[in-house]
Amino acid sequence: MARFIAEREKHNQQEQTVHTSLQPNLEEIKKLFSYGVNKDFSIRTFNLFSNQKKACLCYYSSIVNGKTINEHIMEPLLQNKGESISNIVSIENIEKVNSFSDIIENINSGKAILFIDQSETAYAMDVADFQHRYISKSENESVIKGPQDAFTESLNSNISLIRKQLHNHQLINEGIQLGERSKNEVNILYIKDIVNDDILNQVKNKLNQIKVDNVRNIEILEQYIEDRPYSIIPSVLYTEKPDKATSYLEDGFIVLLMETSSACLIVPVTFWSFFHSPEDRYLRFFYGNFSRSIRLICFLLTTLISATYVAVSNFHSEMIPPDLLLAITASRERVPFPLIVEVLMMEVAFELIREAGVRIPNPLGPTIGIVGALILGQAAVEANIISPIIVIVAAVSGLSSFAIADINMNFTVRLMRFIFILSAGMFGMLSLTGAFILFFMYAASLKSYGVPFFSPMSPHFLSSKDTVFRKSVKKELFRPDYLKPKDLQKKQKKG
Amino acid sequence: MNLLKALFFLIPLLLLFGCYDRIELEQQSYVMAIGIDTTDQENQYLFTFEIANPEVGSATAQGGEGEPPAEIVSVIGTDILTATYTANSVVAKKITLDHTKIIVASEEIARSDKFLSVIQSASRSPQIRRAVELVVSKEPAEDFIRNNEPTMEKRPHKFYNFMLSRAAQTGIIPQATLHRFFQITEGDADVFLAVYATTEQSKEKERGYEDNYIAGEIPQIGGSPTQFMGSAVFKEGKMIDILNGEETRFAHILDKTHDMDTFLATIPDPLQPEYRVSYNYAQKNKPQINIDYQKGKTAKIKVDVEYQVEIIGIQSLINYSQIQKYRKILKENITNRLEEKAKQLVKKSQEQYSTDPFYWSLYVRKHFKDVPSYEEADWNKNIYPNAEVEITFKLDKLEFGKMFDDSNVSEVRD
Amino acid sequence: MGNRGYLRTQEIFAMALIIISIKLTDSTPSLLAQKGQNGFWLIPILSFALILPGFLLMIYLLKKYENKNLIELFESILGQWFGKLIGFILFLFAFFAMTLDSRNYVEQIKLLYFPETPSDLIFIIFFGIVFFGAKKGIEVIGFTSWISFFVLNFFTFLIIVLIWGDIVVERIYPIFGSGLDHLLNQGYQKAAMFSEIFFFLIAYQAAKQTEMFRKGIVIAFTYGFFLIILFYFIYVSVFDYNSIQKLAFPFHDITQYVNFGSFFTNIETIFMIFWLIAAYLKFMILLYAAGWIFGTIFNIQNFDPVLLPLAFLVVTIGLMPFNSIMNELVLRETLFMIMSPFFIFLPFLLWGIALMKGDLRK
Repeated sequence: MARFIAEREKHNQQEQTVHTSLQPNLEEIKKLFSYGVNKDFSIRTFNLFSNQKKACLCYYSSIVNGKTINEHIMEPLLQNKGESISNIVSIENIEKVNSFSDIIENINSGKAILFIDQSETAYAMDVADFQHRYISKSENESVIKGPQDAFTESLNSNISLIRKQLHNHQLINEGIQLGERSKNEVNILYIKDIVNDDILNQVKNKLNQIKVDNVRNIEILEQYIEDRPYSIIPSVLYTEKPDKATSYLEDGFIVLLMETSSACLIVPVTFWSFFHSPEDRYLRFFYGNFSRSIRLICFLLTTLISATYVAVSNFHSEMIPPDLLLAITASRERVPFPLIVEVLMMEVAFELIREAGVRIPNPLGPTIGIVGALILGQAAVEANIISPIIVIVAAVSGLSSFAIADINMNFTVRLMRFIFILSAGMFGMLSLTGAFILFFMYAASLKSYGVPFFSPMSPHFLSSKDTVFRKSVKKELFRPDYLKPKDLQKKQKKG
Repeated sequence: MNLLKALFFLIPLLLLFGCYDRIELEQQSYVMAIGIDTTDQENQYLFTFEIANPEVGSATAQGGEGEPPAEIVSVIGTDILTATYTANSVVAKKITLDHTKIIVASEEIARSDKFLSVIQSASRSPQIRRAVELVVSKEPAEDFIRNNEPTMEKRPHKFYNFMLSRAAQTGIIPQATLHRFFQITEGDADVFLAVYATTEQSKEKERGYEDNYIAGEIPQIGGSPTQFMGSAVFKEGKMIDILNGEETRFAHILDKTHDMDTFLATIPDPLQPEYRVSYNYAQKNKPQINIDYQKGKTAKIKVDVEYQVEIIGIQSLINYSQIQKYRKILKENITNRLEEKAKQLVKKSQEQYSTDPFYWSLYVRKHFKDVPSYEEADWNKNIYPNAEVEITFKLDKLEFGKMFDDSNVSEVRD
Repeated sequence: MGNRGYLRTQEIFAMALIIISIKLTDSTPSLLAQKGQNGFWLIPILSFALILPGFLLMIYLLKKYENKNLIELFESILGQWFGKLIGFILFLFAFFAMTLDSRNYVEQIKLLYFPETPSDLIFIIFFGIVFFGAKKGIEVIGFTSWISFFVLNFFTFLIIVLIWGDIVVERIYPIFGSGLDHLLNQGYQKAAMFSEIFFFLIAYQAAKQTEMFRKGIVIAFTYGFFLIILFYFIYVSVFDYNSIQKLAFPFHDITQYVNFGSFFTNIETIFMIFWLIAAYLKFMILLYAAGWIFGTIFNIQNFDPVLLPLAFLVVTIGLMPFNSIMNELVLRETLFMIMSPFFIFLPFLLWGIALMKGDLRK
């Protein structure tokens, strides 16, 4: 009960408006921000040069740019004359604020607040300078041909990266505040005269419905806005490449950005958004489609090769050519485990290396290669724990899983692999085919913001037919119709 | 979450379920060849299984050196499948027939009435494929399989595979899949040709040439003792005769359903008969077979074969390539010889077998409206034995290889 | 569930094609060959000719009575109760066709690939998968069918290419097999081999526009028919008349026989995968269609819950202890003989009544 009342009190405080005289304001601020305890909270009092009134500037010194405060706020205020504050300071962005709740929000987002004696308004001046990484090369979605830059943990830089590629005044960047305790901003990017308003409203509604204390970054947000949290298939696309985001924007998709993440979310998704890589489009027609076909093979290999191996050798040994059959049999003669255990062991071992490889500190990196290769390759075979064929199978399935660049889809595929292996172990091809077709149908039944997962292939929609293979760039005439964009035509066909 | 927990319990359970048909590779032994022999008992047969030893020839296997490439087991049983279970008293693993390449039947059982019923039980099981080839061995099949020791191709399936496909390409043995056996036997009109082979040298034929041998007669020094040559003639599922390699080739030439590549053969030199001319026979097109049939009349069978010949060697060094007169003689000689041989074979089949080894019954079928009338007309009793057969060979192209002329021996020696 | 307007011509085409053309892989050809000998490949032509007018008439009627599916069409032409009765007969046909067919497929799987597994277990697994698939609804089945259509088509033609060398065209002679009268008789009796296409008419309203449905199903019917003829022709010319009668599953005998060169000799399992996909899809469509027919008759809007008891019944009845020969040669044949006249004459009856009632002049 007491806690509840305290919360009410706090609530009332925040509704308070700015007092006319400086002193009570100062008291209030000191109380709100625990001045003195909170070491990076700074308050500076001085007299204005223009009317000799007392004034005070408060900010978090850790998130503002001190040089800007000195050059553009303090110096003008102490030296220049002028009728109103906005005529004196030379800061880009100045806002009047009246209530303490606004003041708290502004200070938290890196603004300096100027109180002036005998004035009921305070001024919020944007001097924010959150520290962030500089824009660097994309590391998780690397391409050979194409722009190399990646998003960084700064909203402005990220939007700048997108606007750099899309000079369009219809590109809207809308902000929505999220979180009860810590208010973070989610920016919704879309092209106004293309995007479908229904989908846009759905996205906004979803964002507005999130009632939590804090949504820290886009990775957490992804889990709040996805349609099916328990589904094995992702329903939001996550990328760190601005060029990828831009190409989706152009087609009428919606991009979500936050200050704190070096990536963006794209909705709605189809299977193809996980399957494609921006490089397919930068490469020439044949090269791009060649790499698509390789990726398709990788997709199938990584999900099915181990399972197929289990099914074929445990149930359908007749289909293995005799030489290979004898070779496998010979290599298995001294192995103490059933084949399916062998396969599972290898797959788990591979996942182990992978997980350890991600977590291992950089200086120890080379260890993982040596240990992995030794344990999994040589030693295990020589100790007759596994047969050499399994090493090949697991290696192929592991290697091809790296061709699926999208991290969400990557997990889907890796998890499905185990399900397929188990189902293959039950009734060979009968259950494997069944599991596969059910998985496929499950995927086909998914919808992300009303868009079926395999569109535009089936159900068919007018589009530039960019599915497994893409058409030549000159022949891409339409935006995907499954989004119901306001403008379907990408370019006019020329005769 | 409950679902997940349930799954954890279910998965091991499901893995247990899958015991029925799941079998590890090393728990099976793979039969590559099956031999069928008669025994003293009625309706009991001796089955010989040649089981490949996976450890021989594998790079990865440790040990296994000194082991033979195949284990050969013979057991008595009523049919192939039950015999595999009997054989398990000797063989430790489950016997799998999926990879069987050939079925060897001894000449003795092939000539008996029981053969069809033994072989039919094989077709009932999906384990024995229709592409398995049928070989008839002169000696008991067991001896054939045991004596067959290829020196180069250690793994038995490799040997059979290469041997049968190469020999069939040259036409000295027929392609004798079970598929074809059942079709022809069930079709009950023509005779089926199975591969004839042996590992026993019989008395060598005195004056043989390259293809008029049957297996066992070919003089040979070195190599494996196994000889594949000629074919066993099956009429209504029972072996009745043996064709030699040359006759088998002619059966190929005259049969549209057989594929044959080129083959090399010799003829006596038309100008100096003590020498021989060797040539490469090639047949680009399938033979044209036309049958004139009207009820109650003798059928007329007209066969046109177009062929090409490339001369490879001329022992007599006569300049056939440049002298047109000689060339013409050579052409006529080859054509006549081919026609004569073909006619001999047809005559033999008409008189001895009263049906044909060329699958010619196919071409008379279009003269009938339905099966009952076709069966009534009776190809192998009525139509074929009395038919007039006319075979024409037409030489399409005569080539002389890449050299215009042979070097004159006397000039070289000079 | 139901119609959200995502199905178009190609999905309807793919679904209809699967349920028709999979007939070429089961034991229907050997059923026909029992009486027709090597003329059996001509039987579907006659059946097709007999079924086609009625089928087109049904399509025409459905077009005339807009916004009605098959059962609603019966009801509005024949009156509510009589219409429901005919609908129920149709349901029973669909149900028994599905049951006997599925038994047939389970036997195929068991005999060829899982000889030691009890049929019960295969049946349960098979229908379990079919049930979960059918629950996803007609649209998802449609998408899946269309996407797998390319692959299935590729492998169908791969078989044709691989077996090409073993075709001996002369084996189709004597052209009329066991005799023309036999063929004609069989053509009439086995007209129901195309009966699945009538069950599928229940989905008339499923497509985005009914025109798409009509187009899809007619194209699928013709294409499927040609595939059947092509394959039956291959069976005759690869096996000859005496052998074909003895083979229960000529399709699988062909997949066992073909090879890619001498290295890959036993490749039937590759074809089995795609055959299985098609078989799963076929029974999903049939199960869903049967549920739909049932739902419409008894005015159950959301017939999703009907699918489980239906699937259960199929398994229970399918597992009744007949052996496969009995199932094949007696039960399926009888069902065909009952269904054939029904499907040949029913459309004309409906059309006649509709004409008399004057409904068609609108």
